[in-house]
Amino acid sequence: MTETRNMKRRMSPRRKRYWTALGLAGVFGGVLGAWMQSAQSGDPTIGLALLGNSALPANFAIGASIVWIVGMTISLILYHRSIDDHEERAYLWAGTAAWYALTLAAPTWWVLHRASLAPAPDVMLLFLGALAVNAAVWLWLKYR
Amino acid sequence: MNNKLKVLRAMRNWSQAELADRLDVSRQAVNAIETGKYDPSLPLAFKLARLFEMPIEEIFDDGHQGNDDD
Repeated sequence: MTETRNMKRRMSPRRKRYWTALGLAGVFGGVLGAWMQSAQSGDPTIGLALLGNSALPANFAIGASIVWIVGMTISLILYHRSIDDHEERAYLWAGTAAWYALTLAAPTWWVLHRASLAPAPDVMLLFLGALAVNAAVWLWLKYR
Repeated sequence: MNNKLKVLRAMRNWSQAELADRLDVSRQAVNAIETGKYDPSLPLAFKLARLFEMPIEEIFDDGHQGNDDD
């Protein structure tokens, strides 16, 4: 066994950027989620605020929009500057699959709703569905 | 595409993580290349060739024999 194998694996600048990007995205998401939940805590009928459709306070909506756009932009720039081409391929295919899922689901749901065959399309459900497809494909391509 | 990456790495007694560090890629990328699940980009293939000090075509084999003049 080589000496280097016995040493603790040093974190390269690329890996530092990578984990910083993921950490920042996690922090922004956590802050938003907790803030959203606390902003609606006065309503006892609210379960998970993210999946609710009740009115949100304006100050929260404005703040959350800014945190989302600024936070996601910073995290994504850091992420794309740190990934290798193997992960880039996983990311691109995952994004494509998510787009296809949205392309299939959104118009189908919308047209069924127009014919009163389905409830009104739920933007957050569509978003979460596309995100789930994205995550599944990304994980499969990166870790299979 | 077949490749000799696993053999070349074993000859140097490097782990996948060590090779990944030398290439500045993730360990999953090295594993995916070794198992043939992923063909590296041209820049990464050149990086491998420089690291192992041999031509790209000695590391990777696309199964095609001879030249493509015809």
